[in-house]
Amino acid sequence: QCIGPSMLPTFNIRGDILVTERLSVKLGKIRVGDVVMARSPSDPRMVVCKRILGLEGDTITVASDKGGSTKFYHLQIPKGHVWLQGDNFHKSRDSREYGPVPSALLQGRVFYRIWPPQGWGFVGRIPSQSV
Amino acid sequence: MLWKSLSDVAGRGAAIVQCVCFMDVFSNHVLQIQQCIGPSMLPTFNIRGDILVTERLSVKLGKIRVGDVVMARSPSDPRMVVCKRILGLEGDTITVVSDKGGSAKIPKGHVWLQGDNFHKSRDSREYGPVPSALLQGRVFYRIWPPQGWGFVG
Repeated sequence: QCIGPSMLPTFNIRGDILVTERLSVKLGKIRVGDVVMARSPSDPRMVVCKRILGLEGDTITVASDKGGSTKFYHLQIPKGHVWLQGDNFHKSRDSREYGPVPSALLQGRVFYRIWPPQGWGFVGRIPSQSV
Repeated sequence: MLWKSLSDVAGRGAAIVQCVCFMDVFSNHVLQIQQCIGPSMLPTFNIRGDILVTERLSVKLGKIRVGDVVMARSPSDPRMVVCKRILGLEGDTITVVSDKGGSAKIPKGHVWLQGDNFHKSRDSREYGPVPSALLQGRVFYRIWPPQGWGFVG
């Protein structure tokens, strides 16, 4: 289940029930745009649900709106790491806060939603409309 | 006749499957035998590889302490498991003795891993504090080489 505001509008706050597959992660076949479940780097007991916006070696441009103005900076994602970000730009604690995340923390790739019923279907690599 | 021998085989097959399942669960959640190869934990462990028993409960219950030797997934290569000592826990300030020097405060949910071999170890001095979720188990006993039998302190 994915609960919380960080993946709006793709997933609901009150929690969507998802099917994740483990093989992509184990085989290293994760791509930019995939939604994944991962252990949180800041709390090992918590599992978070975010989108992959960059893989190791990619240079990512981060838009950060701390201090009122929006600033941009670039960084290169180190070997063995990925950049996780929630679809909800303003209300998501993700790599913009804790930096690139080691890929060993990834648990599985979200590929299908089974709840709510009106949201049945495959979860794609592009943020979708809310249900 | 045929039916009886088929059911014998099925019975044995089921017992084997149960055994394998039990061992798998035991090894992932309680105790595991692993090998630590490489120069980074000299002189504690040998280069050619010591065979160690690791227990999983301390990590799962969050009861890891400074000085414990742990097995962890490497942050720079998710397919690799490394064997290092914990020199700091979340919230600790650690003084890094390396070419760059300086102190670092270990963020929430992270630990500082360092090999006993000061000069030949790729560890947190290189890749920074490591998320505790990467820790796999605590090394507590060595079973090989035979002259090194005993608890790992």
